[in-house]
Amino acid sequence: MQAFLQQVVSGIAIGGIFASLALALVLIYNAMGLVNFAQGEMAMLATFVAYALISRGMSYWIAFPVTLVLAFGGGVVIQRVVIRPVERAPILTLVIITLGLATLLNGLAGFMFGYVPRSFPSAFSAQTIDLLGVFISYRDLGVIVVSGLVLLAVYLLLQHTTVGLTLRAAAHHPEASRLLGVQVSWMLGLGWGLAAAVGAVSGIMVAPILLLEPNMMQSIIIYAFAAAVLGGIESPLGAVVGGLTVGVTVNLAGAYIPFVGGDLQLAVGLAIIIVVLIIRPNGLFGRAATRRV
Amino acid sequence: MTALLEMEAVHAGYGQTSVLHGVSLSVPDGSVVSLLGANGAGKTTTLRAITGGVRWTGDIRFGGRSLRRMSTEDVVRGGIAHVPEGRGILTELTVDENLRLGSHLRRDTKEVRKDYDRVFEYFPVLKERRGLSASTLSGGEQQMLALARAFLMKPRLMLLDEPSLGLAPMIVRSIFEIIRSINQSSRVTVLLVEQNARIALDLSTRAYVLEVGRVAVEGESEELQGKESVRRSYLGY
Amino acid sequence: MLQRIRGAPPRYWLVGVVVLFFVGFPTVISSFLASEWAQALILAIAIMGLNILVGYSGQLSLGHGAFMALGAYTSAILAHHFKMDIVATIPIAGLLTGLVGFVFGIPALRLSALYLALATFALAVVTPSLIKRPAGLTGGVQGIILTQPDPPGFAQSAYGFLTGTAMTSDQWIYYICLFCALILFWFAWNLVRHRPGRAMRAIRDGEVAAAASGVNIAGYKTLAFGISAFYAGIAGALFALATGFVSPDTFPVSLSIQLLVGAVVGGLASIPGPLLGAIFAYFLPIESSQWVPSQSWIPDQIASTVKNAGPAVTYGAVLILIMIFAPNGIVGLVYRGYVALNRRLRGAADRETGQMPPNPQTV
Repeated sequence: MQAFLQQVVSGIAIGGIFASLALALVLIYNAMGLVNFAQGEMAMLATFVAYALISRGMSYWIAFPVTLVLAFGGGVVIQRVVIRPVERAPILTLVIITLGLATLLNGLAGFMFGYVPRSFPSAFSAQTIDLLGVFISYRDLGVIVVSGLVLLAVYLLLQHTTVGLTLRAAAHHPEASRLLGVQVSWMLGLGWGLAAAVGAVSGIMVAPILLLEPNMMQSIIIYAFAAAVLGGIESPLGAVVGGLTVGVTVNLAGAYIPFVGGDLQLAVGLAIIIVVLIIRPNGLFGRAATRRV
Repeated sequence: MTALLEMEAVHAGYGQTSVLHGVSLSVPDGSVVSLLGANGAGKTTTLRAITGGVRWTGDIRFGGRSLRRMSTEDVVRGGIAHVPEGRGILTELTVDENLRLGSHLRRDTKEVRKDYDRVFEYFPVLKERRGLSASTLSGGEQQMLALARAFLMKPRLMLLDEPSLGLAPMIVRSIFEIIRSINQSSRVTVLLVEQNARIALDLSTRAYVLEVGRVAVEGESEELQGKESVRRSYLGY
Repeated sequence: MLQRIRGAPPRYWLVGVVVLFFVGFPTVISSFLASEWAQALILAIAIMGLNILVGYSGQLSLGHGAFMALGAYTSAILAHHFKMDIVATIPIAGLLTGLVGFVFGIPALRLSALYLALATFALAVVTPSLIKRPAGLTGGVQGIILTQPDPPGFAQSAYGFLTGTAMTSDQWIYYICLFCALILFWFAWNLVRHRPGRAMRAIRDGEVAAAASGVNIAGYKTLAFGISAFYAGIAGALFALATGFVSPDTFPVSLSIQLLVGAVVGGLASIPGPLLGAIFAYFLPIESSQWVPSQSWIPDQIASTVKNAGPAVTYGAVLILIMIFAPNGIVGLVYRGYVALNRRLRGAADRETGQMPPNPQTV
C-alpha cells in the first residue's frame, strides 16, 4: 500500500509538469483553435536559457522568473513573425507551420547547445520526508507546489483581471471583441507569450529529472497532448485534471503492469489519446461544439 | 447643428462584389438618424464601413477626423459603439463580463460606477442575471445587454443594427424608449438601421432610405412619414 | 494550401525524358550513388502516399513513418524468420500495411483534422518503443540484418550487354525501386484523374457539399488512408531491402517530418511534387553534412554540431517559409512562373479580358 501511495505521489508530481505544458496547449487552442506542436520545443529552449543564466552565476530563484519573462517575449515574437502572416490560413497550414517551428527550434537548440545531455539544477533537495508513512522527496513536493502556483496564477489572470477578460473575449469572439475595442491581434500575441511562459515552467521542472538536451520534451509533449485531450482541449481546468490523471496513470502502469514497464510508458500516453479521441472526443470538461474544424 | 459623422461618396463591398455605390450621409451631433431600406440595400454594410469591418473608398469623417485606414479597434476607441447585426453578444462569457468588456477601456472609475447604476435602472433584468452565462438570455434580454454594453462604452455615437429584429412588439417599444432616453439625457448621437420604418421614423429626426447601395430618399423623418408616395414605395406601410 | 493546380496539361514528352533519365542514370554513376538515388525514390513513393492522403483527401497524417516501419518490419520478418525471397515480400508488406491503414482510417473518420494530426504524431513518437517490445520477432534494439539479393541472370546479362560492366547489387535494388516508383506514380496519376480522385478532392474541399452530391465520404476517406498506407508499406519494404537493415531507430519521428517536408516542398496535390520533394528532403541533409565538414575553415566542433543540427534547422525553416510564401511548393512556383511567362508572351491583350487570377487563399 505504501509503495502504491509512493507511486501516486510521484505521479502527481510528474503530472503537475504535464499539466503546465497541457495548459500552455489549451491557452493557444483557445486563442486560435490550433494545437501548437512546437509547445514542447519552446519549453525546451526556454529551459536552455535558464540553464545558460544559472551557469553564468545567476541564482536559481532569479533565473527562474527572468526565464519566464524571456519566454513570454519569445512567444510574442513567434506569434508576430511566424503565426500572424498565416492567421487566417486553413488549420492544416497552421499545424504544419507549428511542426516546422518545432523542428526549427529543436535544431537551433542543438546548434547552440549541442546534443550532450546536461544535468540541470533543482531548487529542491532530493531528501525525503515522511508524510504519514509515505516518503516524499522535497523535489517532488517542490514540483507540486510550483506547478500548483503557476496554474493558480493563470487561473487568476484569466478569470479575475481585465486582461484575462479581453484575452478570453478575443479568443471566443474575435469580431465582436474588435467592436468593443479589444485589440484582437495583440491578444493572440499575448496568448502565445503566456503559453510560452507557462510551458517554460514545465521544462524547468522536468529538466532535473530527465537531463537537459534538445529532445528532452519529445516524450513530455505526448503526455501533455494526452492530458489536454483527456481534459477537453479547450478547458484549462481539464488540462490540470488531465495532467494529474495522466501522470498518476502512467506511473502506476509503469510500476504495476509488467508488460508496460519503463519503456512502454509513452505508449500508455498514446493509448490515452486514442481512446479518449474515439470514445469521448470532447474530453472530460470540453463542450460539444467545435470551432474551426 | 454640426455633423458628428459624415460619409461622402462611400463605395464598399466584399471581395469582388460591391455593395455601396457612393453613399453620402450626415449625422448631426446629438440627433437620431435612421437608415432604412429593404434587405440587401446596404444598411448593414454602411455601418460596417464606418467601423472598418469592410473595405471602403470615399471619405468617412467622425468629429472632423477622417476614419480612412483606421482599424476597427481604433475607430471604436475613438468613441463609436457599434451594436452589430446579431447583437455581438459574447455567449461564452457571463452577462457581467459582457458589461465589463463595454467599460474596460474607461479610466473614469466613478463615472463608470454611475453608468452601471443607470444601466441597471434601464434594464433591471440584467442586474438579476449578472452572474449567468450570456447564452442563457432570451433574444430581448440579449438586445438589452448589447445596448447596455454599448452605453457603458460611453460613446459619442452609437450605431445600432436592427435592434427590433426578432423581438415582440412590446419589448421593441420599451427598447426604443430607452434608446430615446439615452440619446436625450446622455447626449449620445444614434445612427439607427431598421427594417421597421414606422418605429424608426418615430424616434429619429432625420432619415435616409437606401436602395441597392445608393441613397434613394433623404429628409426629415416627419416629412418622410407624411409623404404617401415615399411610404408606399420605400417604407412598405 | 491544398488547392489544385489548375491548367497545365501533363507534358508527355517531359514524363518520357524523366523516365529515361532515371532508367539510364545508374549506368553512368557509381554504384554507391545509385543506392542513394534508390533511397530518394523510396522516399518519393512514401511521400506520394502521404500526398494522396494530405493533398488529395485533406487528412493530415504526421505518423507516416510508422506505416513505413510496419512495411519494413513485415518485409524483414518474412525474409528473416520465414526465409522468403525479400523481393517477393514487398507486395505482401504493401498490402498488409494498406490493410492496417484502411482499418486505422475507420476510427480516424471520427476525428477532426486537428485531432487526427495529433493522434498520428503521437503514434510516430511512440513507434520506436513499440517496435522494441516483441524482441523475438523484431530483434529488439538490435533490429534485423538482411542479406541483399544479387541481380538475377537476365538482369545481369541485359545490363552487361548494354553497358559492358557487371551489375552490382545496389544497381539491381535501384531498378527494383524505380520499377515500383513508376508503377505507383502511374497508379496515383490514374487515381486522381478518375472518380476516386475527384471524390477525394470534393471531400477535401468541403465534406457537406461532397455528401450532398452523393459522395460516399466514409468510404473514400478510409480508402485514401488505405492507399496511402499501402504506398508507405511498399516504401518501407524497399527501405529494408535497400539498407539491408532495420532497427527501431531507423524510424524516428523525424522520418515522419521528413516525409511531410518532402510533400510540402514538392507541392501538395500534384503528381510530380512528391518526386521533387523527395529529392530535396533526401539530399538536403546529406549534402549539407558533407559540405560542412569539408570546409577546413569551420572548426571541427562547430562542424559536427552543424552536421547534427543542420537538417532540423533547414527542414523547419523550409516548412515555415514554404507554408507562408509558397503553399503550393515547387510545383506551384513552377506553375506560377509558367503562367506569368505565358501571359507575358501573349502580351497585354490578355489582361484586358479581366479574368481574375485564382485566389491564393481559397482551399
